[in-house]
Amino acid sequence: MQAAAQVKPKQKIWKKLTPYLLILPVVIYYAIFWLRPVLTTIVNSFRDASGAFTFDNYLMVFAERDFIPALRNTAIIVVFSVTLEFLLALFLALLINRKFTGSTVFLFLAMIPMALPAVASGAMWLTGLTSHGWINSLLFHLGFEHKIYWLAGSEASLLALLIVIDAWTVIPSVMIILLAGLQNIPKEVEEAGYVFGGDYLTVLRKIVIPILNPTIQTAVILRLISAIQIWLVIVLLVGFSRLPVLVERIVYYHEEMSGLNISYQMATGYTIIVTVIVSIVALFYLRVSGAFGKSKEAK
Amino acid sequence: MVKKPVKFGKLIRQTIFYLFITFLAMVILLPTYFLFSLSFMSTREAYEFPLPMAPALRVDYSMTYGKRGYLLSVFDNNEGDYQTVLDTNDLEKMSEYMRYQLGAPMSILEIEEHVKLLESGTDPVKFTGKRNLWLNYGTFFSITRNAVPALIRSLQIAAMTIGISLTIGGLAGYAFARYVFAGRDALKFSVLFVRIFPGVAIAMPMVIFLADLGFYDRPIGLSLVYSIGSIALTIWITASIFLGIPVSLEEAAVVFGATKFRAFLKITLPLALPGLAAAAMYTFLGAWNETVSAIILTQFNPTFSVVVYQSLLGSVGQVNLAAAGGLVMALPSVIFTFFIRRYINQMWGGVTI
Repeated sequence: MQAAAQVKPKQKIWKKLTPYLLILPVVIYYAIFWLRPVLTTIVNSFRDASGAFTFDNYLMVFAERDFIPALRNTAIIVVFSVTLEFLLALFLALLINRKFTGSTVFLFLAMIPMALPAVASGAMWLTGLTSHGWINSLLFHLGFEHKIYWLAGSEASLLALLIVIDAWTVIPSVMIILLAGLQNIPKEVEEAGYVFGGDYLTVLRKIVIPILNPTIQTAVILRLISAIQIWLVIVLLVGFSRLPVLVERIVYYHEEMSGLNISYQMATGYTIIVTVIVSIVALFYLRVSGAFGKSKEAK
Repeated sequence: MVKKPVKFGKLIRQTIFYLFITFLAMVILLPTYFLFSLSFMSTREAYEFPLPMAPALRVDYSMTYGKRGYLLSVFDNNEGDYQTVLDTNDLEKMSEYMRYQLGAPMSILEIEEHVKLLESGTDPVKFTGKRNLWLNYGTFFSITRNAVPALIRSLQIAAMTIGISLTIGGLAGYAFARYVFAGRDALKFSVLFVRIFPGVAIAMPMVIFLADLGFYDRPIGLSLVYSIGSIALTIWITASIFLGIPVSLEEAAVVFGATKFRAFLKITLPLALPGLAAAAMYTFLGAWNETVSAIILTQFNPTFSVVVYQSLLGSVGQVNLAAAGGLVMALPSVIFTFFIRRYINQMWGGVTI
């Protein structure tokens, strides 16, 4: 009897401990391989060679000739490409919004651009945008015989080109997600909107968009985060320093300028700037998506 | 009688709809098609303008006497005529030219036969060479320094990353799906945050740390870095899978005398296998596609994506070879994406554990 009474609370403790034991490996892993290196780097970024506190590392980054252009270019790419992508993807999703023969094939095709590794899509656009590349060849076959020098244009035209390339990569996938969201909306809900006298735009604005909203929010912010980190296509198309962006600067200082004794500090400084920007967006995302609130309903 | 015009209108709308869908599919596929097609083109074709719409399957030659020896011409579709490409009496050089520039390997013995024909009075000698479409792939791997070992390393890294994240992430995913406990939300919040945390922001700090461990420039080092993001992802995927498998199944097994661990092993795990496979493929994609951390954390032992990146950078390589490298990069990604397309949409559509 006594033994049985003792086992019970012990089992209870084990039962309470089980989830923590299951999660422990993750916590340890993240503590060692994520938190510690990241914190060390942040602390070191405020130290000079002798270990004293300094702000010089950051001042050096801010003073770099390409810092402001990099920040500005990143901002332009993020704002324009994400806005354009979502408006166009929503427009396409609304146009297509129905099940049709061959939709499975079409929906898979639409996932391909996003699935392509950055180097592969870099190869694709690089071979397309050179003066004798496939884009000019295609135009030639369509009757435009003048070669267009895509990569020789101004900074603004290069940015526009990048936004188009990014749109090609992203729009099909976003369109699928919105399409899936649209098809989950019960027909009756929309019909009710029309019954009560709403026209197409009113129904769209007051019923469809609000229902899609959580989907859109998640997708927009995940897109923002990856748009902040675009660099590879740019470097493959125009090389380093021609159209500086934040992550490109990190690779530039770490790889191309690794001989300089300030290169590590510069690369680290840029890394922290990117981290801070992405973290702010991420925290904002976790807040609006209600990462806390939803879990209780889930179980 | 009344119905007919309605049907006609429907037909028109249907046609317009399918034209529109076809147009979209074309826009999506065209760039991919050109990368594909370019990767099979000979160097001569790849630098032609306009670029042929598809690689040729054969080369038409015409051979006659030239100033220095034999004058070799090939039929050019853009010009609609034969164009002189080589004037030499060195048949080995001619054979090499056919292999590397025209992508149609022909042995010296075969060329000699055509030369004999020329010398016996047929002038010009016309003959065709069969294109070897896979030549670019072979050449890419043989002339790109490091390509084969890099491919093997990339696969090793992916395998190790899958191993680490499935064990560590799978356990936590199970905990999130099956238990309610204090601090659950905070932990989940942290996991999501790590998932969103940029890859470069982990790679830069890891340079010194991995060097201290002796893991810098080694596959294990990169897989440790990749695991950070993929553990979070695996937790997310596995949690949603375990959530979908009723606890009652496990409980029933326990009632019939199985231990809890055995019940998990024999009941829940087999049911979760497809989802775990999806998580593994997702992890593979992450590790395979990643470039920036790999550039930062390797030096003499790059991954395959870094090798392709370097072959593209500065365009030292030939475009058709680079296209072949790019396609080798793209193929596993597209295949795995096909298998896990359902999960990818969920991932984008809304994050709930």
